[in-house]
Amino acid sequence: MKNKPMMMVALALPFVFFTGCAPVKPVVQVEPPSPKTVPVHTVVLAPDPDGRIGKAEIANAAGKALLEKPFEMTKVSQPSLPPLVPSPAPAEYVKATFDEALSVEPSAADKFILFFESGKLKLDDKSQKTLPEILETIKRRNPVAISVSGHADAAGSVQVNNKISLQRAELVRDLLLKNGVDSKIILVSSHGKGNLLVPTPEGVAEARNRRVEVVVR
Amino acid sequence: MKVLSNGLLVLLFMASPVCAAAADVIGHIHTLKGTASIVRGGATLAAAPGGALNQGDMVRTGNPGAVSIVMIDDTSVSMGPNSEISLKNYTFDPQSGKFSLVVRMVRGTFAYLTGLIGKLAPDSIQLLIPDAIIAIRGTKLLIEVKE
Repeated sequence: MKNKPMMMVALALPFVFFTGCAPVKPVVQVEPPSPKTVPVHTVVLAPDPDGRIGKAEIANAAGKALLEKPFEMTKVSQPSLPPLVPSPAPAEYVKATFDEALSVEPSAADKFILFFESGKLKLDDKSQKTLPEILETIKRRNPVAISVSGHADAAGSVQVNNKISLQRAELVRDLLLKNGVDSKIILVSSHGKGNLLVPTPEGVAEARNRRVEVVVR
Repeated sequence: MKVLSNGLLVLLFMASPVCAAAADVIGHIHTLKGTASIVRGGATLAAAPGGALNQGDMVRTGNPGAVSIVMIDDTSVSMGPNSEISLKNYTFDPQSGKFSLVVRMVRGTFAYLTGLIGKLAPDSIQLLIPDAIIAIRGTKLLIEVKE
């Protein structure tokens, strides 16, 4: 390996004699550009709040890098160079660079699920008791947003399910409003059968999918 | 009067592909330290906790400054000082199965945490940084974009 440049120079010599040019040093490896001249961007894979680790692929026209281990990082500097092969991110770098961003990370949302009596616009008995808990949480957190999303099971037509899941969400919203929650921070959405809690085949009636999710942030 | 203003709105949004959705709330400012602003249609507004975010907004932090935003699908982005993000394209419509989350990280430091879109339609997420695109499978990322 060490002899390779020498060999290449030797091979290039006759060429030099013919052209009269100065010998050109053979290029062994293209070094990535120095961070001082070209901005270098960094992507670090971090564990989810529940400790699970996902994956991220960083790609450009020249290639890609797959991050799949906790605190693995890659760097990318220009479109003509592929993202660097993943390497461990130094803890000091992560702390020094991201501490301020992480200091405003939203705390995990409080999530509640309310279930309905079959075929009715009425909370089941257990969920009636969840309501005070939700109100207590809202009082304690002073949230910036409360999302109220209605869901249906996979039985019945899309139209009917969209309608009933919206009605369910609106019913819960009205319960919150009645208890003094600020209407401006409530966001109502209807998911129909697009987001099942318990995956089932199409057409299956499943009580646990007939629900409203309340997320307090 | 209402017809007139509606007509004006339609005219205003005709050039934009997002149409009426432009006025929809797609997320909120969550926590704020120091200074941060929202750039919307050429106007710069001071960011405040609870403030609504719309399609096409840009969020910037000063120095000192740090801000977190939470999208309606629960995706969150927390930004350090001297940072800027552009919310280019956002759709969260589980009822019709339509999702997109395209954000450009222009400069600064970011902590990105995936939400429901990452669970329901991870392929519809694109995080754009200079010279590369990031695709994710349900996770948290720390991203530094240098100038």
